[in-house]
Amino acid sequence: MSLLSVVGVSHLTASVGIRERVAFTSAEARAALEALRTSAGIEEAVLLSTCNRTEFYLYPGSDLHVEAAEAELSKKAGELVGGIEQYLYRHESTDAVQHLYRVAGGLDSLVLGEAEIQGQVKAAYALAKKVPVHPPLAGPVIHRLFQSALAAGGRIRSQTPIGEGAASVASVAVELARKIFGSLAGRQVMILGAGATAELVVGALERDGIRGLVVSNRTYERAQELAGKLSGKAVHFDEMPFALADTDVLVASTAAPHPLVTLDGFRQAMGGGRARPLLILDLAIPRDVEFAVGGEANVFLYNVDDLREIVDDNLLVRRASVSDAEAIVEEFADTFRRWHDARDVVPVIQNLRGRWEAVRQSELDRLLKRLDHMPTGDREAVAAFSKRLLNKLLHEPTSRLREGAGNGRGPEIIDALRYLHDLEDDGPELASELVEESQRQIEIEEDAVRDIEGEKERIDTSD
Amino acid sequence: MTHVVALLLYIGSLILWFRSLLAGGRGRGTAIAFGLAAAGVAVHAFALASFTAEYGRLPFEGLGPSLSTLALVIGVGLLATIGLGEGRRVGIVLIPVVIALESVAISLGLQPFSQALDFQGAWFGLHVTLAFVGLGGLAVAFASGILYLVQLNELNLKRMGRLFRFTPPLTTLDRLVRVALVTGFTTFTLALALGWLWTISFRQSLDQANPKVIWSVMIWGVFAVALGVRAGGGLKERRSALASAIGFPVIVIVYLGLRVVGSARGFFL
Repeated sequence: MSLLSVVGVSHLTASVGIRERVAFTSAEARAALEALRTSAGIEEAVLLSTCNRTEFYLYPGSDLHVEAAEAELSKKAGELVGGIEQYLYRHESTDAVQHLYRVAGGLDSLVLGEAEIQGQVKAAYALAKKVPVHPPLAGPVIHRLFQSALAAGGRIRSQTPIGEGAASVASVAVELARKIFGSLAGRQVMILGAGATAELVVGALERDGIRGLVVSNRTYERAQELAGKLSGKAVHFDEMPFALADTDVLVASTAAPHPLVTLDGFRQAMGGGRARPLLILDLAIPRDVEFAVGGEANVFLYNVDDLREIVDDNLLVRRASVSDAEAIVEEFADTFRRWHDARDVVPVIQNLRGRWEAVRQSELDRLLKRLDHMPTGDREAVAAFSKRLLNKLLHEPTSRLREGAGNGRGPEIIDALRYLHDLEDDGPELASELVEESQRQIEIEEDAVRDIEGEKERIDTSD
Repeated sequence: MTHVVALLLYIGSLILWFRSLLAGGRGRGTAIAFGLAAAGVAVHAFALASFTAEYGRLPFEGLGPSLSTLALVIGVGLLATIGLGEGRRVGIVLIPVVIALESVAISLGLQPFSQALDFQGAWFGLHVTLAFVGLGGLAVAFASGILYLVQLNELNLKRMGRLFRFTPPLTTLDRLVRVALVTGFTTFTLALALGWLWTISFRQSLDQANPKVIWSVMIWGVFAVALGVRAGGGLKERRSALASAIGFPVIVIVYLGLRVVGSARGFFL
């Protein structure tokens, strides 16, 4: 057993061809998480599936849980020469916690410091919360872990320059568009699908003054919804190839399992060939646009792997801030570990105090009965003295226990305390109090995260 | 001396262009480089005006003055891109051309022919000026074409390095190629027409074996090809950029070849 296990694939271990095989839709992710609970009895879990990574966060960490998650990944990947195992990585305990903080902070991203991952981590956690199992998969530990990860990501972005410069998918898209078209004023953009990244890209392009926006989606209602949100025009999916003829920038980001823009379809729609440049940003996994379309005249096709290569130069400045960001990751991981260890310690402390408080009260009552002749003020002084004495006596063992929990000696000291003070097991009421306390802390942190995100959004908009 | 000052300003500008390239176009490097180039053009213009004032002749007589004038026209062509934002960065290709021409001009000596040419006058001045503007247009198209091909290559290789960031947008470069070619072709055609009319009027016949005639027709042909390939669909912008990028060096090489032949016969620039 370990604090936490992570298993998955990412752009660092697998190509887009492999990653698209283990990309989970929301429904598939829910089913996989449910299966983990059923088959391996996992207490808490989250599945983070983005263009660049698919990874399970499992609490508590154990070989059994990891094997179950690997089986889910293998099932999703299907037939694969050599198996999916060759592309997997695993992290345990504090490493796993730090990994999530790095992911949320964009330190592990394809585009170092990119901000979209923050929303994707949040969405993955929200999805785990919706899985219809009891107790919930997004339990107190995962809850705390993901909220602190979002807080860590926010802190990294606000306190280091890791998010500066054009290195997110959206800003790289804008830079590419500018280098092809110069000004984007008067350009026509089509968004195919309704992914969050695509929305970000279109948002960034809109700030540069595009002429019009066309939205196409398999579900026309969803296209209309997005078109309304982005002040664009919805077109039916079967009209999409023809609308493409008037398009300057195509942002494709559907969850379709096969290419939607094929070479034959493209040629048919373009008639006698493309007369002006067309920038295609295929952000989908699996890809929405056939590779061969990129070979057509005046077509500039970029998929997520291409973006990986072209942003390297943009990352030099960001890389310089990695060490500062890592320090924040360590700080948050340390805080989380202390919090986790304290989960075991707090009930013991409360039990200890409760036990000796009861003794104090009982002895005080007995004494005061015998000191009935004393004035009230003196009786109160005796009561206060007993409280002070108890606090002083328990102060040192309590501090040592907290300290021990922080340096990994928690269980050993807890056992010793329970033996020496003849403490009973922590009752359910105490556990419930602890969870409530934990929830209160989480709410405070969520507010802080919202503040940071709000501030970040304000800064992005002002850019 | 003023020519040397102009040359030094051009060299300073070139150094800044390359520094800006190394910085991926960030900072104020390109603006300062453009400013230095503008200062170079101003000093250069003053130097050629001084030539005219000193010798009482237009700076078209003699190879040195002619090359220097052509360099100035190309420099003015660069200044014409001032409103094009990143388009001004064609200076990184144009300024070396200007430096090369001005260096050769200075090394050859900036004096007119010892004897005045027999076709002095407004026709001659207009003919040569229009021809130089045409050549300047071709030089700008050449620089824009090269950068267009560089940017196209960067986009196709899917890199976003310093070269990508420094190089202007494709559409800006294509517009520059088109405008430079159209301007150059128009003025050069007018120059040829004027030259032909003058020859027919005063000499009654045109010596078709004259290297100047061969070279002029060839330049006109380069313009025609570079503009002609823009017709039709597909990669017309790329074809035009390629024709411009190849055409200018070709006419320089042909000039050098004809000059060797022409010098032997004693009647080429």
